[in-house]
Order: sequence, then structure tokens, then C-alpha cells
Amino acid sequence: MGCLSGQNQQMGVMIVFELDQMIAEQLTQVSLSSAIQVRVGANNAFGVTASTMLPLMQMFEMGGVYISASRGAVEIIQAYEAIGVDVSNIQFLDLVSSGVLGGTDVPYPNVTFIDSPIMLESILLRTLYTLRTVNTARNFVILDSLNALSIYNDERMLAEYLHTFINTFRQREVLSVLLTVPDQTPPLVLANLDTYCTDIVDRGQVVLL
Amino acid sequence: MQSSSVYTRDRCVTGIHGLDEILRGGIPYGSTVLAAGTCGSGKTTLAMEFLVRGALAGEACAHFTATEPSVKLLENIRQYAFFDMNMVDSGLINVFDMDVLYSWLGLEKASFDLDDVHALIKSIVDIVNTIGVTRLVIDSVTTLCYKIKSEQLIRDFLFTLGKKLATLGCTTILISEITSATENAHWSSFGVEEAIADGIIVMGDSERMGHLLRFLQVVKMRGTSHSRAKHAIELTPLGVMLIPMLKWGASADKTSRWGS
Repeated sequence: MGCLSGQNQQMGVMIVFELDQMIAEQLTQVSLSSAIQVRVGANNAFGVTASTMLPLMQMFEMGGVYISASRGAVEIIQAYEAIGVDVSNIQFLDLVSSGVLGGTDVPYPNVTFIDSPIMLESILLRTLYTLRTVNTARNFVILDSLNALSIYNDERMLAEYLHTFINTFRQREVLSVLLTVPDQTPPLVLANLDTYCTDIVDRGQVVLL
Repeated sequence: MQSSSVYTRDRCVTGIHGLDEILRGGIPYGSTVLAAGTCGSGKTTLAMEFLVRGALAGEACAHFTATEPSVKLLENIRQYAFFDMNMVDSGLINVFDMDVLYSWLGLEKASFDLDDVHALIKSIVDIVNTIGVTRLVIDSVTTLCYKIKSEQLIRDFLFTLGKKLATLGCTTILISEITSATENAHWSSFGVEEAIADGIIVMGDSERMGHLLRFLQVVKMRGTSHSRAKHAIELTPLGVMLIPMLKWGASADKTSRWGS
């Protein structure tokens, strides 16, 4: 793996980033019942997420569910298409686009919509249902992102949800990957991430020299 | 020390994802369970899945529909992948229109008296006995009981029907339409169904910031310890799925009310 770049034609955005090899190495140490906290910055979210998801898909032949609360699923799919990555084997649960008129009229069969990011239990149930329909033996659930969910949900409820979420998938041996921008995430949620996640990928701090 | 053994009743395993866990193994065999819920809460889907899971295990099942014609019921339920029309064609799931049954019995009238009620009980029990039905759904008992004007007669009807079906080893779900699923609500339209039923499963909607979240709660089930927590439900193509509702969510949600 190395440097990938591409142009998202619909968005007109050039995406250039270098896959973070350290993340791929770190992923060799985790098990299916792990929960990984991935701390990203506001500007490196896609690169860090891709550096996490691509090794899971390509090295470990995993499939799974991508829960998109920060951006619409189409935008995410097209960002991957722009760098030549096929994500048709990943099922997307889009929590954003139902709030946009016409947002649910998309050409991708692997996208399902949930009415709102406040329907936390529905998100979990829909994810469990989707996992029953996938044909990959080993699966992950990527939650993108806790800071986006915190826009709509009470801090205590989100902290409780995080606890339920991690334990639900741990019990089913589905790898949880929880993305968050730390400085946009409530303290109680961050504390729970530290407590319940088994691993951390910290790319949330940008150090200027 | 003496060893103690705990008696447990045999269960009718519903096969519904999560419900058997809530019931600690399933519904005790021969029970009459009231599935009470507001409109759109998933009562019919839950009841139909209960029959489908039974049919998949080789049990004979029956569904008496009083709220919509059987053709419409089956058309609506066919959207679910768990349902297979072959179960109906092969006689594992037998669907009866109450209107047709009334017609057979000469009960095409606005209200039923004692003789009519006994004729109705006899015909339902005969069907269950003849086919060997072990899972039965009446959708809805509310619509059926509208024709029975006396509260005492409704009580007799439900008590006698439940007793006879239990004797035959038939586990029954009576669907009850209610307008409110709040804490203080009655779980039945006539007030007597909930007292007679062995179990009560309440279904409704919680409103969270303008969105409706379906829930299910087992408030009573004789013969088994069970969870009494509120569970969120999702009607998926593979069937009903449940998980416990978030505690902080439940405290913030408003339980929807209609017409009361």
C-alpha cells in the first residue's frame, strides 16, 4: 500500500492521501471481538478512515457495515470510487440523507437510509439485520462518527449507547470501529470510549513543528 | 443438603428474534396472549411471524382475520422475506376471514347473543381440533368483540375460548387494538380481555424529537419469569428484531397517544 489519489467527479474534489501503514500494522494485533477507537482530526478523517477500512477489506477479507452519520453514504462511496476502491461489498447505513429532500434517491443498492440520527436503537437493529444478510464470514461495523451523533443526541444517552453498541458487537464477534473527532465529542462519551474500547488509533492531534 | 428442582412449564418457542429471550424461553404452551398495540405498531407482523416460525417447525397454524380481508392481509405480509406463500398453499398456515365464518354460521348481524357466542366458540374450536392447530392468531379480538354488546358476554367468550384452546394445547395470540400505550392505559378496548389473558404484550410508539420509535413490552406472562423492560423493535424483511431501549432515551421519550 502507498499513496492513493483521485478526483471525486461529482463533488469536484481532489482526494490525495497516503495510506497510514502504521494503522495496518496495528490492525494485525486486533481480534474480531475488539473495539477500536479511531481518533481523527477535522481534516484527516477520510485518510485515517480509509487507512483503517482498506486493510480490513483487503488484508483480512472482511466485509461489514458502514454507519454514516457525518456525511451522506453516496459522498463516502464516491470518495472511495475516486481512489479506485470498490466498496460495493460494504453495506452503508445512511443517517444523514433522509433529512435532505431527494437525498434518498441514489443509484447504490448497498445504501439503506434511517430517518434520523436520533433513532439510535433503530440504527443498532438495522445494523444487526444487515449483518444477517451479508455473505462475508468476518465483519466489521464502522461508526462514522460519534461527534456527528452527539450533535443530535444527549450526552448521557450517547454514552449509554456506546456501551450497548460495543458489547452487542463484541458478543457477536463483529469488530467495532468507532470514529470520533475528540475536540467535538462530549467528555462522557470520550471517557466511555477510553473505558470500553480495546484499542486506539490516535490521529486526532495535529502537531505543528 | 437437599437438592432443589425448579418446575418449568414447556414453552412454545416463538422463534421471533429477541422475544424468546425476553420470555426466558418462549410462551408457556396453551397460553392465551393479548398482543395489545396502537395502529402501526407491528401487531399483525409479529403475530404472522409467530405463525410462520411455527409452520417452519412443522406446526399447524391458523389466522382468523376480522380487520382486513385475507387476500389483503397476505398481499401485505408477502413483502417480508420470512413469509412464504407455500405455507398457506400447503395448509401449514390456514387463514380464515371472520366474515366468511359469520356467514357459514348465519351470524351476519350487528350484535351477538349468548347462543351466537357459543356457536362462534364451537366453530373456532372445531377448526383448531380438526386441523390440529397449535398456534392461533385472532386479528383482532377488538373487532370481534364489538359485536358482543355485554361486558359479561365478552368475558365469557374469551374465558371459554381460552380454556378450550388451552385444553387442545393451542397457544393463542389475541390482537387488541388500543389507542394509547401509556403507563396508565388499559391494554384492551373492553377492559376485560387483559384480566382473562395469560399474557399481555404491549406494542406502541415512543416519540423522540418528532420521530416514532416502535417498542414492545411484556407486562404479564403467567407461568414464566420474564423481562418487563421496554424493547425497541424493527420490522425487517427477516422478521421482527428487538433490543432493549436505551434507559436515558426512555426517560426522554414521549409515549404517543391517539384518540384518548
